[in-house]
Amino acid sequence: MLNSESTKPIYVQIAEWMESEILNGHFEADQKVYSQYQLADMYTINPATAAKGLSLLVDEGILYKKRGLGMFVAEGAKEKILNKRKNQTLKRLVRELVLEAERLHISREELVSMIHNAKEGEGRQ
Amino acid sequence: MSLARTSSGDIVKRQYAFKLKAHIDSYSSLVGIQMLALLFSFGGVGSMGSYGDGLNLEVKYYSSDLVLVFTAIWAFVTATTLTTRPYRNHDFTFVSNRLTSSLSNILFLASISLAGALTAMLAGNLLKVFVFIFADGPIYNQGTGLADLAAGTVIALFYLFLVTSAGYLIGSLVQVSKLFVILIPVVFFGSLFLDAVANREPIVNNVFQFYIMESSLLLLMVKTLITSAALLAAAVAILNRLEVRR
Amino acid sequence: MKVVECNGLTKAYLKKEALKGLTFSLEDHKITGLIGRNGAGKTTLLKLIAGFTKETSGEIKVFGERPFNSLSVSANSIFVDDQMSFPPALQLAELLEEAARFYHNFDSGLAKRLFDYFGFKADGYHNRLSKGKTSIFNGIIGIASRCPLTIFDEPTTGMDESARKDFYRALLKDYIAHPRSIILSSHHIDEIEDLLEDVLLLKEGKQLLHEPVSELKEWAHGIKGPSEKVLKASEGHDILYRQLTGADTLYAAVRDFSGTLLDAAAGAGLEVTPVRVSDLFIYLTNETKGGIDDVFSQN
Repeated sequence: MLNSESTKPIYVQIAEWMESEILNGHFEADQKVYSQYQLADMYTINPATAAKGLSLLVDEGILYKKRGLGMFVAEGAKEKILNKRKNQTLKRLVRELVLEAERLHISREELVSMIHNAKEGEGRQ
Repeated sequence: MSLARTSSGDIVKRQYAFKLKAHIDSYSSLVGIQMLALLFSFGGVGSMGSYGDGLNLEVKYYSSDLVLVFTAIWAFVTATTLTTRPYRNHDFTFVSNRLTSSLSNILFLASISLAGALTAMLAGNLLKVFVFIFADGPIYNQGTGLADLAAGTVIALFYLFLVTSAGYLIGSLVQVSKLFVILIPVVFFGSLFLDAVANREPIVNNVFQFYIMESSLLLLMVKTLITSAALLAAAVAILNRLEVRR
Repeated sequence: MKVVECNGLTKAYLKKEALKGLTFSLEDHKITGLIGRNGAGKTTLLKLIAGFTKETSGEIKVFGERPFNSLSVSANSIFVDDQMSFPPALQLAELLEEAARFYHNFDSGLAKRLFDYFGFKADGYHNRLSKGKTSIFNGIIGIASRCPLTIFDEPTTGMDESARKDFYRALLKDYIAHPRSIILSSHHIDEIEDLLEDVLLLKEGKQLLHEPVSELKEWAHGIKGPSEKVLKASEGHDILYRQLTGADTLYAAVRDFSGTLLDAAAGAGLEVTPVRVSDLFIYLTNETKGGIDDVFSQN
């Protein structure tokens, strides 16, 4: 699941994977998530790296820490993740899309219709 | 993870047991070399004969001294081998410092001296048995009692330990500089040569007499033990500075 | 607690300095990667830490003691590489028994399970093992000894791909269960990057950096575009590496000093990519700012 070839740091990949688990409904609010040691074992990574990924999510209010008990999913974590992905990931992808379209001299109308087509294609599947 | 506490004594004990197992090959070479010495001895170390009036008298001497000499060479070689790099490295694979490494080596050298002394004495008796079976004519022999055997073993033990101590020191000198491989024989034979030129009794001869011609058992033990201790102390001091695995 | 502390540590062999004044310290319970090119001084440093060799000048302390001739350092550390030497008379199973007699924390059960898993025979001999098998056997001793300071110097020499994976996974699992200080040296950073917490990078006997590995992916950025624009955007920053990739297209790996690099690059419409840690190390340890291509472009 992790990609060491990826240019993203491992702890960011861990955080994103944890987010996906929450989005997929594998973890509900107030449910305990994997410890840094479980994550380290699962992905053969240093526990400190796993801990850094988890604390990234704590900083964003997606997880919360209970002393001596571990990390738990925060209330409204799903919405936070969705919002974040919309605002950051999607925006960045769109920016890249627009840049690439400019390089290829694709007009605004053409780009919009391509997006429409893609959406319809997905709907049919 | 809490740190393990260790004592030098404990590690020396473990290293000693480790070395007894690790040097199993040297025991078989001891047996081999003593067999060879026996074979040479069986021809007799000397003989004389006289003829006259139809009488033919032939006297043959047998001695197991050669077995002890060969054993001493074996002990010397084993002692020098201990100082070589591979053997020093073995200790440092596990827990060791230079002092425990040397101390366990010395215990090991004392053990092989004892093993060498015992087997050499027994080999001497074996020679007697052979002579008894195969030689013709009347046989006269000395020192067959248990007391003689015990005294012989003790003397051989102290000599062998002296030899291994010298071997250990010479080996460690060679580890400091390979020049000693040349230097030590040069000094030895050089002194013989110079003494011969000056037409005086060789120093080596005096040294030999000091240790070998001692008739008091107690004095002999004291002399060899003190010398061994001095040689080993020097070797330990030298080895204590040497790097391993470089 | 500091496990290893070095202060101006220098080691010379016959007047040639292999280490030139290293000053750093390693924290307890971390896996630190010792990275550097061949001849950078990795093995020299590790042998000093293990107490095998003597420092020429400066100071080295392991568990607060000078390691040379320290029995306590020797009892609490193990140095594993493919040159570990064992008495040829002992069989492999006997060697494991000996290791257990010397090392306090040695886990004979684990050693035996690993021994069987990797297909060793109890009556085999160490000097008859292949290169890869030698490394695996030594690695088993290193892991099972559970020394508070465990040193692996190029532990996977000669191992095949799957043995390497198994070895590192075994090491990590045992580390999670029994945290201890581990130093891993390798010139294959890719292989160990995920395992590490910190990295100590050596170049020609000097330390180049000592940082958490997670910081390193954002340490430098790759910028690609028209040469002039790339050079302008990276003004005031440190260009670690540059390569012409087209007629007038320049790729530069740039260390961001003031946090303004990315904006400048984005403003100029340049392509920005992160720099992989292994590439970063290649750039940092190269003799020159160019690469092998420059050797050929001279004529």
